[in-house]
Amino acid sequence: MEILSVENVSFSYAGSAEETLHDISFTVEKGTFVTLTGNTGSGKSTLLRMLKRELIPNGKKSGRVLFNGEDTEKLSDREAATGIGFVMQYPDHQIVTDKVWHELAFGLENLGYPKDIIRRRVSEMACYFGIEEWFEKPVTSLSGGQKQLLNLASVMVTQPEILLLDEPTAQLDPIAASDFIATLKKLNRELSLTIILVEHRLEEAIPACDKLLVLKEGQVLLYDTPEKTAAGLKEWPELLYDMPAAVRLYHAFDIKEAACPLTVREGRDFIEEHFKRDVLSLKKPAYQPESKTALELTDIMFRYEKTLPDVLNGLELKVNEGEIFCVLGGNGSGKSTALSVAAGLRKAYRGKIRVFGKDIREYKNRTLYQECLAMLPQDVQTLFLCNTVKEELEDAKAEKLSLPYDLTHLYERHPYDLSGGEQQLLGFAKVLAAKPRLILLDEPTKGLDPGSRRMIADILRSLKKEGKTILIVTHDVEFAAEIADRCAMFFRGEITSTGVPDDFFSENYFYTTSINRMTRGLYEKIVTLKDAEAILKENGERSW
Amino acid sequence: MRALSECNPIAAALFFLAVTLITMFTMNPVILGISFVCAVVFFCLISPKKGFKQHLLFLGLGLILALINPLVYHNGVTVLFVLNDNPVTLEALIYGIVASVKIIGTLYWFRSFSLIMTEDKLLYCLGSLSPKTAQVLSMALRYVPMFRDQIKKVHLAQKGIGLYKEDNMIDDVRGGLRVFSIIVTWALENGIITADSMAARGYGTGRRTYFSLFRFTKYDGLLVLITLVLSLVPAVLMILHHAEVVYYPVLQLPENTTGTLFIYICFTLLALLPEMLYLEDRISWKYYLSKM
Repeated sequence: MEILSVENVSFSYAGSAEETLHDISFTVEKGTFVTLTGNTGSGKSTLLRMLKRELIPNGKKSGRVLFNGEDTEKLSDREAATGIGFVMQYPDHQIVTDKVWHELAFGLENLGYPKDIIRRRVSEMACYFGIEEWFEKPVTSLSGGQKQLLNLASVMVTQPEILLLDEPTAQLDPIAASDFIATLKKLNRELSLTIILVEHRLEEAIPACDKLLVLKEGQVLLYDTPEKTAAGLKEWPELLYDMPAAVRLYHAFDIKEAACPLTVREGRDFIEEHFKRDVLSLKKPAYQPESKTALELTDIMFRYEKTLPDVLNGLELKVNEGEIFCVLGGNGSGKSTALSVAAGLRKAYRGKIRVFGKDIREYKNRTLYQECLAMLPQDVQTLFLCNTVKEELEDAKAEKLSLPYDLTHLYERHPYDLSGGEQQLLGFAKVLAAKPRLILLDEPTKGLDPGSRRMIADILRSLKKEGKTILIVTHDVEFAAEIADRCAMFFRGEITSTGVPDDFFSENYFYTTSINRMTRGLYEKIVTLKDAEAILKENGERSW
Repeated sequence: MRALSECNPIAAALFFLAVTLITMFTMNPVILGISFVCAVVFFCLISPKKGFKQHLLFLGLGLILALINPLVYHNGVTVLFVLNDNPVTLEALIYGIVASVKIIGTLYWFRSFSLIMTEDKLLYCLGSLSPKTAQVLSMALRYVPMFRDQIKKVHLAQKGIGLYKEDNMIDDVRGGLRVFSIIVTWALENGIITADSMAARGYGTGRRTYFSLFRFTKYDGLLVLITLVLSLVPAVLMILHHAEVVYYPVLQLPENTTGTLFIYICFTLLALLPEMLYLEDRISWKYYLSKM
C-alpha cells in the first residue's frame, strides 16, 4: 500500500524565479526505506520539507502530497504533527528542553497526553534506544551521536508512520554515523516504519535501504532498488562521487555481465571474479620529507581542570615543513585538544612546543598568529563576525588575496545562510588572510558533500605547492588517504603509529579505507580508488 | 516513609514553607529556639560536607546581629550599663539575641532547602503552577550553558586566526564586543530552527500537559497532611494571641495555658519531622542490611 505519494510537486523559493523542484512525482510503499540523494543544489532537502507541512519554506508550491491517500494540507494539526516525523541535520538545533527525559516527553506534552501515558511511552523509548544510562542528564553534556539518537527517539515517541531525515549523520563521526544508520534499519525492520533518508554519505545508507532515489536539478533522475539505481549512474559521473567505493570502482570499468556491487564484501567478490592477480603492488617513489621541522611537540601533558584526568598524555609529534600531515583517531581521543594546544590556544602544563624551530612562548605579543600559524576550527561558523560575506572578507583583509576559488557570487549573503561547503570556503579565506606558513585544520570535511570535499582537497594541494605546511585532524579516513603525505593514529592522548598513507592504512585492520578492505590480501598496499583502478588496469580483466 | 530529599518536591516545599513562615512570624523564644536547633541538626544531617566554615560564618553573623540591637535600641527598664551616654538594656539585649536566633535559624532552613530542592525539583513545582513558564524556563536553562560554550569557542577561533592582533586591553575589549554581537545573531538563528523543530513536533496544536519524573505517592499525601495539621493548628492559635511575648518595656513571657503548650508541642513535632524521616530512613536501611 502507498503511504505517501507525491504528485507533480514544483516549488520555487520566495524571491527566486527559478524552480528548485520541477514537477516531481513518486510514491513510497508502506514499510520501505528510501534513500534520497543528489548533488548540492539538486533540491533534496527542499523536497523532503515538502513532505512535512510544518516545515515547508516560504515560496510558491504547486502539486500535492498525499499521506495515506489524504492531501497533507488537509490533515488536522495533530495528525500532521504526529503522523510524519522529521529529524534535521544539526543535533543541537532540534533539542528544545534542558534534560534528556524532558526532551523525550516534549512531543507528548504538546499533544496533551496524561502523565501516566507519557511516563510509559518515555520509559519504553529510552529502553529501546538505549538511553537509560543518560536519561537524567542535561542535554548539553551529550556527545553529537547521543544528541542525534535523542532527537530520533523524541520524534519516535509520538509513533509516526513515516520518518523523514535530513542528513542526520552529517555532523557525526563515522562510528556514531554508522550506529545511527543501523538504528534506522532496525526501526524499519522491527516496526516496519517507512523511512525517507536524505544523505550524502552513502557507504552505510545504500546497503541499508530498499529504494534509492536520485535527484538532479530538481527532477527525479532515477528511482529504483539501490543495485539498479547505482548501476544506472554511468552517464552521470558527477553523481558517482556520492556513491560507495564499490560502485565507483564498478563504474571505472565496463563489465557488462557483472551486477553492481554495493558493499565491501560485494566489491571484493567483484574484484576477485573479474580481475587477474599478476601484479600485486604498484611501484611508487618513496616519500622524501623536507629536513626542516615546522612543528614539534615534545612530551605534552594537558588537562582541562585540576581534578580531571589528562587529555594529552606525553604527546610527541613532528610535522615536517611543506607536508600534509593527517592525525586520525576516535571520538574523545583528544586530537582536537592536541590541535588547539599546538596552536597555542590552550596551554600544556608540561612539555615543549616548537613552531619553525622557535619555542611557542617566545612568540611575544601574539606574533604567532601573524604570518606564521593559523587554525581553522571544527565549527567554521565561529570564525564569522560580520553580516555579509563581503564585509567578512574585507574585515580579514582577504578581498585582495588571490584565493584559489571565487566567492564573489556570495558577497551579499549572510555567512550563516551559506551551505556547509560555502562556509568552509569562506572560513578558509579568513584563515589564509592571516598569511600563515603553518595551517592547522580541525575536521575540514565534516558535514560536507563530496563536491565540496574535492574542492577542499584541491585547495590543500595547491597550498602545499606554495610550500605551506598543513596539519589536519580528521575522522575522514578516505580523505586522509587521498591527501596526506603522512598519517598518524591518535589514541588516549598520544600518537600510537605514524606512516605514509599506503603503509599506515594497509597495516590497520579496521581503521582503513573501504578500498583497502576490498583489496586486502588480493593486492598489496592499495588504499585509494585511484590506486585500485591503476592496479586493476595493469592486471587486466580475467578472460573466462 | 522516605527522607525529605526523596519525597515529592511539592510536599517538601510545603514543609519548608510552613516551618519558615512560622519561624518568621513569631518572636516567641521557645518556638525560635526549637526551630533553630532543629534547623541546625537537619542541615548537619544532610550536608555532604562538614561545612565548618559555614557554621563559623553563621555564628559570627549571629553574634553581630545579637549585639546590634542593644547598641542602637535603648528601650527597656533594666539598664545594664551606660555606653556613650546611652543606656544598654537587658530587654534590648534579649530581643537582639532572640531575633538573631530567628534569622540564623531561618538561614539554616534555607540552606537545607537549597540542598534538597535541586533545579529540577524547583522546575517541577513551577510547572505545576504554570506549565508555560516552566517550559520557557526549561528552554532557557539549556541556552545558558550553550551560549557560554559558544562564546568560548568563538573567542578561541578568533584568536586562532589573529583577531586580537595586539596584546592590549583595547583590542581585547573591541574583540569581545564583536564576539558578543555575533553570538546574538547566532542565538536568533538557532532559535528559528528550534521553533521549526517545536512546530514539527506538534507544539501549539492544542492544550499542553506538563510531564515530570516525580510522582505523588500516598506517603507524600500523608506528609502534606501532617505538615498542614502541625502548622495550621499552631498558626491559628498564635493568631488568637497564644504564646505572645512582650519585650518592651518589661519582658513578659506568655502564661502556660493549654493553647501555648499545644503550640510548642505541634511546632516541635513539625520541626523534627525531617530529622525523624531521615533517621527512620537510615534505621530501616541498617535493618535491611543486617538481614542480607
